[in-house]
Amino acid sequence: MSKFRNKDGKPAPAINTSSLPDIVFMLLFFFMVATTTKEIDPLVKVHPAQGVGVTDLTPFKQRSTVDFVYLGEPLSGDVSKFDKGVAVQYDGLLHPDGINYIGRWKMAKFNDKPAEMTDPKENIITVFKADEKVPMGIIFSAREILRDLDFNSIAYSASEMGNKNDYSIREQ
Amino acid sequence: MSKREVPEINAGSMADIAFLLLIFFLVTTTMDKDTAYLRKIPKKVETEQPQVPVEEKNIYKIVINSKQVIQARDSIINPEDISTLNSRIKHFYTVNRDKKVDRALNYPYYAFGTKELYTNNLRNQENRLGALESQEEIDDKTEKMIEQTLMAIDKWQEKLDMMNLYSQYSGKKEMPEIAFEAHIRLESFVDTDYSAYVAVQSEVQRAVTELRDEEASALFGTTWTAMNRYIIQNELEDTPELRVYKEHTELIETLYPLRLIEVKPKR
Repeated sequence: MSKFRNKDGKPAPAINTSSLPDIVFMLLFFFMVATTTKEIDPLVKVHPAQGVGVTDLTPFKQRSTVDFVYLGEPLSGDVSKFDKGVAVQYDGLLHPDGINYIGRWKMAKFNDKPAEMTDPKENIITVFKADEKVPMGIIFSAREILRDLDFNSIAYSASEMGNKNDYSIREQ
Repeated sequence: MSKREVPEINAGSMADIAFLLLIFFLVTTTMDKDTAYLRKIPKKVETEQPQVPVEEKNIYKIVINSKQVIQARDSIINPEDISTLNSRIKHFYTVNRDKKVDRALNYPYYAFGTKELYTNNLRNQENRLGALESQEEIDDKTEKMIEQTLMAIDKWQEKLDMMNLYSQYSGKKEMPEIAFEAHIRLESFVDTDYSAYVAVQSEVQRAVTELRDEEASALFGTTWTAMNRYIIQNELEDTPELRVYKEHTELIETLYPLRLIEVKPKR
């Protein structure tokens, strides 16, 4: 009857796991190559805008010639404390002056680097990573400050739209 | 001496170490890439001279209001039809291309450069430079004029080089050049949503990129997008390919320039 019963009472042979490290290392290397490090922990909620034909910023990040400015609703704290409900995040800091702080922040970043490592001002790109509901007025005030300081390369962050052919624009 | 036996190292915990590293990388990295539209802020110019207004036909005006409704020239576009902007902008660029007569009046005209024209202009400027430098007294005014002439020489030399490159690849003797004033003017309101603004940027970028890719495939057999990506990735290296690609993209960008003026909102 019992065809599968272990007749001689021997224990099941152990599975050979000597190739397990190889497999895990393969996975590890895959993830090391395919991902990029996180910039900073976000303090504002950013739902990215959609677009086609965007430029990949990875090469600029490797040369560290980009500065990110995050704009959106704060994740914690009182929304009404911020002008128009939009908090502006600079390198892990929500500044109470909002967008008007951008000039001082850029100058400090520019002067902090040793002189032989700084790129010319026009090569450093300021990327606005804004939530889709952020009003453009804020970004234009930032543009004006940056123009007066000669940081005249900017970028509007957007995620690649992919196959779905629809911009997510708020209807009113 | 007796041969000592080397004890085998126990590799059983290797997998644990690898898992630990794997999980560390999973937590600290992200998959999504940062992508954006690169733009330049024009430099501040202070002149007392009144600016000559640009002709209406050379402007493609797009206005986005605070309700995300778009006006492109005379037509109103609702947010859901925004992808029609692509073909409208392409039309703006191409309607008068290769046309010398019977042109659409309300769209930018094209100029047709030839090798002879550019060579002549170059020679004229060189003669002028010679005349200026041989003057006995060189005062401030002459110095300024010499400077201007040198800039003009550079400009015409650049154009001549592009013309040579264009005729070498296309076999044509004339290079169509869109009116130098032709531009897209993007106006927004203070309360315009970022997503709507970016959507218009996206449509402008798409229209110009498609035109450029088409032209680049016809001339060089590769797309402008591919060449541009190569340039961005290998900017710091000095390979012969990079130099060739830079020349090629420069020509394509002269044929289809992206001139986008973003106007500061007033309301």
